[in-house]
Amino acid sequence: MATEKKKAINRLQSIYPLRAIIDERYKRSFEATKTGEPTAWSMVNWWLPEAILNVMGVETMYPENYGPVCAATGAAEAYLNRSDAEGFPSHLCGYARNTLGYSARMMKDLEGEIPPEAPMGGMPKPTLLLSSGIMCDARYKWFQALGRYMDVPVWVLELPHPGVEEEATEGVHEHNIKFMVEGLREFVAFLERLVGKKMDWDKLYEAQRDIEEICRVWHETNELRKASPCPMHSRDFWTGMTGALFPSGNLKELLELYRQAYDEVKYRVDNKVSAIVEEKYRIVFAELPPWHSLGFFDKLAERGWNFVMESWNYHPPIPLDMSGISDPLEHIARFTYQWYAARHPRALQEGEYWGFAYGYLEYAREYKIDGAFLHTLLTCRSASTHLNYVRDVLARATKVPSLVVEGDIVDLRLFDPVDVLNKSEAFEETMEHYREVRKKEGFDW
Amino acid sequence: MAREIMGLARAKEIYQDRGARARELKAEGKQIMGYICIYPPLEMMTALDLVPYRIYGDMREPITKADAVFITVTCPFIRSYLDLGLKGRYDLLDGLVGAHVCDCGEKVPHVWRSQINTPYYHFIDVPHTVHEAGQRFFKGKLEYFKTTLEAFAGKELSAEKLKTAIESHNQQRALVRELHDLRKPDPPLISGTETLRVIKALTSIPVEEGNELLREVIAEVKERKNGPQKKSARLLVWGSVIDDTALIDMIEDAGANVVMDDTCVGTRAYWEDVRLTDDPLDGLTYHYLVDIKCPRTFREAVYGETKKDHMADLESRFSYLRDYARAWSANGVILQVVKYCDTHGYEVPGLKDYFDSLGLPNTYLEHDYTEGALAPLRTRVQAFLEVIG
Repeated sequence: MATEKKKAINRLQSIYPLRAIIDERYKRSFEATKTGEPTAWSMVNWWLPEAILNVMGVETMYPENYGPVCAATGAAEAYLNRSDAEGFPSHLCGYARNTLGYSARMMKDLEGEIPPEAPMGGMPKPTLLLSSGIMCDARYKWFQALGRYMDVPVWVLELPHPGVEEEATEGVHEHNIKFMVEGLREFVAFLERLVGKKMDWDKLYEAQRDIEEICRVWHETNELRKASPCPMHSRDFWTGMTGALFPSGNLKELLELYRQAYDEVKYRVDNKVSAIVEEKYRIVFAELPPWHSLGFFDKLAERGWNFVMESWNYHPPIPLDMSGISDPLEHIARFTYQWYAARHPRALQEGEYWGFAYGYLEYAREYKIDGAFLHTLLTCRSASTHLNYVRDVLARATKVPSLVVEGDIVDLRLFDPVDVLNKSEAFEETMEHYREVRKKEGFDW
Repeated sequence: MAREIMGLARAKEIYQDRGARARELKAEGKQIMGYICIYPPLEMMTALDLVPYRIYGDMREPITKADAVFITVTCPFIRSYLDLGLKGRYDLLDGLVGAHVCDCGEKVPHVWRSQINTPYYHFIDVPHTVHEAGQRFFKGKLEYFKTTLEAFAGKELSAEKLKTAIESHNQQRALVRELHDLRKPDPPLISGTETLRVIKALTSIPVEEGNELLREVIAEVKERKNGPQKKSARLLVWGSVIDDTALIDMIEDAGANVVMDDTCVGTRAYWEDVRLTDDPLDGLTYHYLVDIKCPRTFREAVYGETKKDHMADLESRFSYLRDYARAWSANGVILQVVKYCDTHGYEVPGLKDYFDSLGLPNTYLEHDYTEGALAPLRTRVQAFLEVIG
C-alpha cells in the first residue's frame, strides 16, 4: 500500500452534507415534475424569492448552478455548441449558453424529455422562469430568450442599484425599499394565480427568518477566516455557498448544517488549525472559480497559498437588525438591499464611488491579504468588468498586488491551469515585495 | 450672425468635429452637460439652460487607457468613450449624467466619477421593468435628478420651464420623424449615412439649434436632385449603437439603400413624443422608461400573465419593426451587434424567428467597434444582398 500523502487542502468535514443538498434539490424537482407539482428555474436572485417559493411549495432549480455541474462533468461543451448553432452569439454568458443549449436539446430534439446525458438527472421543464435585474443583464435576457424553447411565464424581480452618493441622499434608501416591497407583493399575487394557492404569511415570515439566520451563521463562519492561519479555504466556501445562496428544502435542517460548519471552523480557530499545510500567502479570490479545473487550487495550496476570502457578492449580507419589522416582504427587501448597499456609506467616506469595488478594500484590510487572484471570466462581464479597477484600487489603497488570470466558469478551453501555475509562482515574488512596501508604509500586515 | 454652412453640410461639419460648437457655447457662458446613452431626460437639462451633449466613442481611435480599468471583454463602445474621457477628450463638460442602461453602462458612470474630474455628476437608476411600480420608482429617480441638477444650475426647474423644454424636444422628435419619412421613396431622398450624421449632430447642439438644422436639412433634401441612387436592396438596420458612419457607408457602398433603423443614434430616442402631463415628470417618466424600446428593458405581451405564448411575446416586443419594414418598404434586415453587447445579443435568435415568420430576409453581423473589423463584413453583406436579389 502506498504511503498516504497529506492532502494539500484540509477540507471541512461539515461542508460535505451541504454539498449533498444540491443532489437532493435535483431529485426533488424531478419528483415534483413527475407528480405535477409546480417547479421554477430561478436565477441566483440573492434571497428575493427563496422564502416565497419555499412556502408556496414551488421546487426550485438554479440553471446558474447547473452550469458548473455540466462544466464539471464535461456535458457543457455539447450544450455550448448547441447554443452557438441556435444562433446565440458565442460571447454571451457561459451559464446562459449552457442552459440555452440544454433547453434546445430537451425541447426541440426530445419533445420535453430530459436529455439522457444530462448530469445529475437533468433539469425538468419548469412551470415558471424567475429572473431578476440584479447586477447582470443576462439574468432576465437569458430567461426571456428561453421563450424560444418553452412557453413558460417569466417574472423579473427588481433590485435598485444606487450609486454610493445616491444611497447617502435623504429618502433614497426608503424609496428603493418601497419599490422592492411593491414588486415582491405583485410577485406573490402572480404566484398565487400561477399555482392556485394562497400565501401563508406567517409561514413566509418564519421561512424568511430562517434564511436570515442561515445567512447570519454563514457570515459569522466567514468572519472566523480572519484568523491566522485561516481555518477555511475557498474550496469549502464554494461548496458551502450554494446552500446559503439558494436556500431551499427544509430550512431548519439546512440551518443546523451551517451551525455545524461554524462549530468546526471555530474549533479550528481555537486550535490554530490551518486550511492548508503551511500558510505562506493569504489570498482573496475574485470572481467565480474555474469549476472544471478546481484541482489547481491543490497545487497552489502545496505552495502555501491559502485562499481566505472571495468576492463579496457571493457572501451573505452583513447582518442587519430587523427586529421591529413584521412584514415578511419588507424583511426580504431590506435583507437583499443590505447585501448590495451596506458598504456604500463607508465607500463614500473613503471617496470610493464604485461600491462594487469597495468590498475588496475592506477584505484586504480585515483579512490581511497578501495578494488578490482576479479570475476574469471571459463570458461573464458582470463578474469581471470591475476586476482591473479592483486591481488598481487595491494597489493604491492597500499596496496589495493582484494576479489577473483569464478563464471561464464553464468553457474549459478558456483556462490554462499550467500557465496559471507558472504565473502564480512568479507572483510570489511580487507578494513578498509588497509585504515589504506595506511594512515601510506603516500598514499592519 | 448668419452661418455660411447650412443643412447637410452643416450636419457633416458638426459630425466631424462635434465638440467645436460646444466649445463655442461654453465660451459664451453656457454649461455643457454630458450624458450617457438615451435614458437621461434631456428636457430637464434644456429647461435649466444646460446644453445636453451625448457621450460617444471613437471607433477610429485605439483604446489605450480604458483597458487599465475595464477588461477587454466588455462593450468596446463603452470602453472607447471611457478611454476618450480618460484622455481628456471630454474636458469641455461641466457635468456628466449616467444611467443604469445596461450592466456595463451602469458601472462606467461610477468609474467616470472616480477617475475623471467633471464638476457635476449624477447617476440615474433605471428599472428593468416597465409596469406601474417601475414607473413610480423611476419617477422618484427623476425627482432626485431634478434636485441635484437644480443645485448645480443654481436655479429652480419649474413645471412651466420643463413643459416648454418638452415642447421643444417634441418638436425635434416630429422633425426627426419627418426626416425619416424622406427615406420612404425609392430611391430614398436621404441616405443612411447622411441621416446618421444629422442625428449625431443633433445630440451635440442645443435643441433649438437642432430644430433649425433639421428644417434646413429637410428643405434641402426635398429640393435637391442629386440624392441617393436607387439600389436593389432597401434595408432596415437594427441593433447596438452606431455612432460612426463607417458601417452604414459600407452597407450602402455594397449596393443597398439603408432606409430605416432601430438604433439609439437613430430612431429610438425620437419615435414617440413625451406626453404633456400636469406634472411634467409623469410624461418624462413614461417616455424614458416605457416608450424607448431598447432591449435593456424587459417587456412582455401581458404583464403578470400566467400563460406564455412565444409568438405573441415576439409580436408584442417587435411588431414596431414589422411596421417600420412595411412603411419603409424594406426587403431585408441587418441585425448588427457590437461584440459583448449582451442585451442585444440575447435578442438575435428571437428576432430572426420573428423576421423569418414575416418572410423578411435577415442576417446577423457582429463587430468589435473598430473600423478595421468592418472590412471582412463587407463580403457577408454582399452575399446577403445577392440573396435578396
